Amino acid sequence: MKEKLLALALAGAMGLTLAACSGGGTASAPSSAPSGTQESAAPAESDLAYVQDKGTLVVGITYFAPMDYKEEGSDEWIGFDADLAKAFAESLGVDVEFQEITWDYKVEELNSRAIDCVWNGMTLTDDVLSAMGTSTPYCTNYQTLVYSAGRAAEFEGLTSLEGLNIAVESGSAGEDAAEALGATTVPVQAQSNALMEVSAGTSDAAVIDVLMAAEMTGEGTSYSDLVYSLNLNEAQDLPSEEYGVGFRQGSDLVDAFNTFWAEKVADGTVSDTATTYGLQDAVILD
Amino acid sequence: MLEFFTSSTFQTVISALNSGFLKTLQLFFITLVGALPLGLIISFGSMSRFAPLRWVTRTVVWVIRGTPLVLQIIALFYVPGIQKWFNWPSGESGRMLAVCVAFIINYACYFSEIYRGGIQGVPKGQQEAGLVLGMTRRQIFFHVTLLQMIKRIVPPISNEIITLVKDTSLARVIALQEVIWMGESFMKGNSGIAGLTWPLFFTAVYYLIFSGIVTVLLGKLERKLSFFQ
Repeated sequence: MKEKLLALALAGAMGLTLAACSGGGTASAPSSAPSGTQESAAPAESDLAYVQDKGTLVVGITYFAPMDYKEEGSDEWIGFDADLAKAFAESLGVDVEFQEITWDYKVEELNSRAIDCVWNGMTLTDDVLSAMGTSTPYCTNYQTLVYSAGRAAEFEGLTSLEGLNIAVESGSAGEDAAEALGATTVPVQAQSNALMEVSAGTSDAAVIDVLMAAEMTGEGTSYSDLVYSLNLNEAQDLPSEEYGVGFRQGSDLVDAFNTFWAEKVADGTVSDTATTYGLQDAVILD
Repeated sequence: MLEFFTSSTFQTVISALNSGFLKTLQLFFITLVGALPLGLIISFGSMSRFAPLRWVTRTVVWVIRGTPLVLQIIALFYVPGIQKWFNWPSGESGRMLAVCVAFIINYACYFSEIYRGGIQGVPKGQQEAGLVLGMTRRQIFFHVTLLQMIKRIVPPISNEIITLVKDTSLARVIALQEVIWMGESFMKGNSGIAGLTWPLFFTAVYYLIFSGIVTVLLGKLERKLSFFQ
């Protein structure tokens, strides 16, 4: 009898933990639809106050030189974005914490408050603009085509990607560009995986950010036999893309950021930092 | 060749992979310590003579075993914050905690079914013999049933444990920086090294060595428990 009671009590405790968990499971399905409206309708408390209250600005990043990266032998995040994120946190009077995230989940990371902003050379696509509160654009970028040097002749002067298998980062601006040019796209997890597709010959070419193509192909990398050319934004008569910082929807941190940024442009900090990381041509200073 | 192993690139990659593998090990051991006992409790629930408890437990086991672990990790980490129930602790520790909870619940459900099979596989005559000897039900469970159940379940549990070694790699979906994440990081860039693919494939060495050690240890345990033969 005692044993039965014990089993009952223990199983009851377990049932509670699991009920809490399975509740999470079932709630996850319908949450995506209404949460957007909840988010924008009721930012009752100030996001800025929330961040200042906990004393840390958690910046969501991925490793992306020259925006957010580490130098060999150092454990400190540096880069154009990282340096200015540190300055922004300081202006708010809080510490900065860099958190590497999975890029596909940037919106969920923000909304679940696992991070406070996405500051990582993020292209302001329609998807990003509708899901986040975004800053004024601070940098320009365009999409480029990466292919193996041995097949360069096939790709020179190309205006359409029809009939080609093009590896792209799932959900990226590159995916949109490749689709617009008629390619059969192969969506992969990250821009770096797109390069592996090309190098392994499983895709004909990849479309990625030019800043990343410059960093990740050529001598000293596993992709020394890959080359890039073509401004795909020009090829489509599209304006260049713009980078911005993403916050939670309706967050008052957007205004705080824009004010901070205008000050730093005015006193020359932004321009100096851009020059340090070779972005003087890409940064927006007006 | 030797130059490669002494190069600073190799050293940097190895120390990054080591730090990733420490997280893998942490997740592995915490899951085992949590899931092995929790599984036994769940198995009691699914064998209970109190029908509602039995059905609730079996439904939970069905849901957990019937949905992908990767989905459970994502839901457990993001849904509480999005629904404003609670926030996981900030930083790497919060991610590790969420992943551990997801793994413990998932593996406990699998273990519970192995335990149930092991307990129900002990012949009824053994319990009757215990009763004849005047043992209490508690004594019969611990000294007769459980004793024989443990030796029966070692091979199927070993199977799950070896699977767990490799399943830990699912944790990178919420950016826990375990060994595969670290391996992949050198493709995109880490510590000033970008565009390297070999570190990713090199992580296989870590898994192989570790699962080799686990296999040997579990084999020893199996031999040690080969009494009554």
